[in-house]
Amino acid sequence: MSTSVPFRVHIAASVIIAAALPFLVPSTVLATEILIFGMAVIGCNLLLGYTGLLSFGQALFFGAGAYIASLTAIHWEIGLIPVLLLTILAGAILAAIVGYLAIRRQGIYFVMLTLAFGQLGYYIAFLAEEITGGEDGLLDVPRPPLELPLLPDMTFANDASFYGLTAVIFVLCFLMMQRLVDSPLGSVLKAIRQNEKRAEAIGYQVRLYKIAVFAFSGAITALAGGLYAMMLNFAPLSNIDIETSEQILFMAVLGGLGSLYGSVIGAGVFLVASDFFSELWPRWMLLLGLFLVVVMMFAPGGLWHGLVVGFERLRGRHKTSTEENDHG
Amino acid sequence: MLTKGKMIVAAASALMITSGVATAAELTIYNVASVSGAFANFGKQAEKGVKLAIEAKGKAAGMDLKMVTVDTESNAGKAARKVKAVIGKDDAKFFIGSTLSSTALAVGKEVNKAGGIYINGSGADEITGKQCNKSMFRWSAPTYGAVNASLTTVLDRNPNIKTVYTITPKYVFGEAMLENAKILLEKRGIKLVGNSYHSLKESEFSGYIGQAMAAKPDLLLLLNFGSLATNTIQQAVNFGLKDKMKILLVWSNGIDHLRTLGPKISEGIYFGSQYWHDEEAPANKEFVALSRKMFGETPNYPMAHYYQMTKLMLDAIDKVGTDPVKIRAHLEGLSYAGITGDEMIRAEDHQVEKYFYLLEGKAKADMNDDDDLAATLSKKKYFLPTSETGCVLG
Amino acid sequence: MRVRGSFLMSLYLFQTLNGLGLGLIYFLMGLGLTIIFGMMNFVNFAHGVFYAAGAFICYQFIAWTGMFWVGLFAGPIVVGLLALILERFLIRRLYASDHAVQILVTIGLMLILRESILLIWGTVPKNVSPPEILSGVLLIGDFAYPKYRLFIIGVTIVASLGVWLLLERTRFGMTVRAGSENPIMVSMLGVNTSKLFAATFALGVTLAGLAGGLMAPIRGASAFMGAEALGIAFVVVVIGGMGSFVGALAGGLIVGLVQSFTSGFWPEGTNVMIYSVMALIIMLRPNGLFGRS
Repeated sequence: MSTSVPFRVHIAASVIIAAALPFLVPSTVLATEILIFGMAVIGCNLLLGYTGLLSFGQALFFGAGAYIASLTAIHWEIGLIPVLLLTILAGAILAAIVGYLAIRRQGIYFVMLTLAFGQLGYYIAFLAEEITGGEDGLLDVPRPPLELPLLPDMTFANDASFYGLTAVIFVLCFLMMQRLVDSPLGSVLKAIRQNEKRAEAIGYQVRLYKIAVFAFSGAITALAGGLYAMMLNFAPLSNIDIETSEQILFMAVLGGLGSLYGSVIGAGVFLVASDFFSELWPRWMLLLGLFLVVVMMFAPGGLWHGLVVGFERLRGRHKTSTEENDHG
Repeated sequence: MLTKGKMIVAAASALMITSGVATAAELTIYNVASVSGAFANFGKQAEKGVKLAIEAKGKAAGMDLKMVTVDTESNAGKAARKVKAVIGKDDAKFFIGSTLSSTALAVGKEVNKAGGIYINGSGADEITGKQCNKSMFRWSAPTYGAVNASLTTVLDRNPNIKTVYTITPKYVFGEAMLENAKILLEKRGIKLVGNSYHSLKESEFSGYIGQAMAAKPDLLLLLNFGSLATNTIQQAVNFGLKDKMKILLVWSNGIDHLRTLGPKISEGIYFGSQYWHDEEAPANKEFVALSRKMFGETPNYPMAHYYQMTKLMLDAIDKVGTDPVKIRAHLEGLSYAGITGDEMIRAEDHQVEKYFYLLEGKAKADMNDDDDLAATLSKKKYFLPTSETGCVLG
Repeated sequence: MRVRGSFLMSLYLFQTLNGLGLGLIYFLMGLGLTIIFGMMNFVNFAHGVFYAAGAFICYQFIAWTGMFWVGLFAGPIVVGLLALILERFLIRRLYASDHAVQILVTIGLMLILRESILLIWGTVPKNVSPPEILSGVLLIGDFAYPKYRLFIIGVTIVASLGVWLLLERTRFGMTVRAGSENPIMVSMLGVNTSKLFAATFALGVTLAGLAGGLMAPIRGASAFMGAEALGIAFVVVVIGGMGSFVGALAGGLIVGLVQSFTSGFWPEGTNVMIYSVMALIIMLRPNGLFGRS
C-alpha cells in the first residue's frame, strides 16, 4: 500500500507534521521531544516492524548518541554538522557491531543478546564517571552553531529556533527512511520478516541485510539521542537505561509497526498522554499497560492502522451512499 | 444596619471572588517531585509538604497561591524537559524540590538561565559546590555535615570503636560520603579496614556483608541511601552483624526507613537524618500539629523539607515581592527559625546551615506510639568553610 | 602470614558457600520461567511481577494472621490462581504467536500488575520478618550464615525436586511435553491440552510466587523488585538454555558464584560481569549450556 503513495505526498505530509505540531501540543519543548522520539521510534520500527527483530538495545544507541554529541560539542568547537555526523557515524558503527553479534542467534536468544549489550552499555556508562558524568549525567551541553557557507552562523539558543532545527532534521530523516523502506532493500527486509528461510533460499544475504538495518537503526536513534541532549542541554544516565528501550518499544507498538507515520504518531500520543495522565493519576502506567495489551491482542496495526481503516471506511461509506444516489 | 453592612461587604467580596478570578494576581510555586515511577513514594509526600506550606501561608504579597507539580517520573531527562517547558510557556520562576542529584543539577541550570529561584534538598554537594549558581539554594545538609554530625556522636558514645568497614554506592554522592568519612576517621585515629562499592541497581548485599564480616570491624558504616540502605540493613541483620558490631546508616530517610525496617530490625541501629518529627523547635511543633490536623499523620522527611523550602520561598516573596533579584538578596545571609531549630542561609554558596540528627532505633517495648521508632541522640551542625566548597557565585 | 592465609581461605570458602546458596535462590527464580518456555515455548516477561506479587501476598497474609507459614503458603497459591485466570482470558491466545508478540503483551501485563500492586499496597516498600525459629545465624568459623537462607535453600531443593519428578516421571509431564511438540496429535488422543497448558502456566507462575514469598524476609516487598528478578531469571535461564531444568540449575549456580566472588574484587562491576557471562555463553553456545536446539 505504501509503495503506491507518491513520494511528493510523503514530502507534503512530513512537512505538515513538522509545521503543525507546535500548535497541537502544549509546549514547543514537548513538540521538539516528540519529533526526536519520533526519529528514535522510526529506528526501532525499522528493526521490529520491517524486519521482525525485537531489540532491547535501542537505549544503548540513543544514550551513546547523546554522549557522543555532548562530548564532541563540549570539548571541540567544530560546529553543528560535524557533531551530528560524528554522532550518526558512531551510532551506525555501534549498532552494526551489536547487530553483527546478536543476529547470529534467533528468537529469544537474539532478544536476550540485545538486552545484554544494552545492560552492559548502561553499567559501563554508569562506571565511566570521568567521561559520562555517571549518575549525574553530563551538564551544560551546548547547542553548537550551524555554520553554512555564504550564510551567517545560525544559533539555536531559544526553544523555537531549536524546534526549527529539529523539524528540518526530522523531515530529512523521515524522507530518507521512507525512501529506504520503499526501495528494493525495504522489500527484502519485509521478505525476511515474513519468512527468513525463504528469503535466504531465494539468494538474499539475510545476515548482511540485517546488519545493514541495524546500522540504519543505530544511526537514526543515535542522532535522536544527540538532539535530545542538545535540547535538554543535558545528557542524563537515564537515556541509556533499559526503561528508555522499553519506552521506545511502547511508542513503536502503540503507533503501529510497519509504517513510519505510525512511529511518529506513537511517539506523539505516548508523550502527550504520559504528560497528561501523569498529572491526573500517578498510576497512569496501568493504562499504558492495558493499552499495550489491547493493541497487541486486538489491533496489531496500532493507531496508524486504525486511522487508515477508519478513514477508508468513511470514504467507502461515502462512496456507497453517492452510488445509491446515482441509482436513485 | 450592622448586619446589612456586613451583608453588603459579603456580597461585594463574593462578587470580587467570582469576577476577580482572572484579574487577581496569582503566584505559582512549581513543585519538582517524583510522583510516578520508581521513587513515587517520595513525590506524594513532597506534594503534601508544599500544600501544607501554601495552606499555612494563605497569601503571599497579596497574591493567591497555587501549586503546580512537575512530575519528574523519576527520570532526570523528563524533569529537565518539563521544567524547560513551564519556563518557556508560563514564565515560571519559583521552583521547589527534587532530592535526586542528577535532577536537581539539571533543573538548577534551567532555572538559573531563566533567572528564577530554586530551593532544593538534594544530596549533591555540587549544588553548593562546583556547580553552584545564583538561583540555587540548598536546604539539606551536605555529605560533610551528615557524616560529621552522625559519626562523631557514634564514636563519642562508643569509645571502643577502633575499626570501621564501609559500604558505598559507586558514584559522586557515595564517593563524597566516603571521602568525608575517611578524613574524620583518620583525625580520630580509627582504622578503615575495608570498603565495598556497589552499583545503584544492587539488591543482593550478602557478598559485601561477607567481606565486612571477614574484616571484623567494630562499626559497619553504611554510606548508601533509600531502598539500597533498607536492603543492606535487612540483610546485615539477617547475617547476625548487629550482634557483632555497631551499624550506622548516615543518610537515612528518617521515619520512612524505620517504618519499612520495623523495630525488630532497627532496634539499636544508628540512623543519621536530616529531620526528625520530635524536634522541639517551635516552628517544627507548629508544622507537626498542622500535618496531623490536615493529613492525620506524622510528617516524614520528604514532607518536612518540601514544607520548609516552600515556606522559605513564600516568606521571602511576602517580604520583598516577586523580583527574583530581591528575593535572592533577601535570602542571602538570612537567619530564621526553621523546623530543625535556628537555620541560616549562607550568602557565599547558598547553603542552608541547619541541624542534622543522629537517631537510634528503639525496641518495640520502648515505643510510646507507632511513630516513636527512634530516640534522638544528638543534633549537630557541621559545615565546610565557604572557602573550601569550591563554589563561586557568578 | 599463615594466619592471613587461612583467613583468606575461609573468606573464599564463605564466598563459595554464599554463592551456591544465592545460586539456588536464583535457580528458583528462573525455574518457573524455564518450565513455561520449555513446555509451551512461551516467553513470559511478567514473570518478575508475579514474583513481586508473591512477596506482597505473603506480607498481607502475615499481616492478617500473624503467622509466617500462612503467608508463605498463601503467596504462591494466590499468585497461581491469578495465573489461571490470566491464562484463561489472555495468555492462551498467545501460544501460537511470535516471541516478540508474547514479550510485548507480557510487558503490558507486567505494567498493569505492577501499578495494581502500587495501588493496593501503596508506594512504601513492606517489611517481612522471618519466623522466630529461623531468625538466628549458623556460625562457621569467623563467618555466620543466616538460618533463614538455609531454609530457603532447603525449600528450593524440595520444590525443584518435586517439579522435576512431576515433569519427568509422571504422565502429566509426558503429556505436556508431547503436547508442546504436537498439540493436535495429543488432543486427538483425547487429552485436554488447553487444561494441560493452563496447569503448566499456573505451575510456572506459582514457582515465581513462591520465590517472591521466600525472598520477602531478605529483601522486603517492593513493587519494583520484579524488574530485577526478571533480569536475573532470564540471565539464569538463558545461560543454562531456555527450557532446560538442569540448565536453570547450572545457570543459577554460575550467576550466584559470579556475583558472590565479584563482590570481593570488583564489587561495583557485579552486573557487568553477570551480563558479560550471559552474552559470552550465548555467543559460544547457541542454545545455552544445556538447551535443546
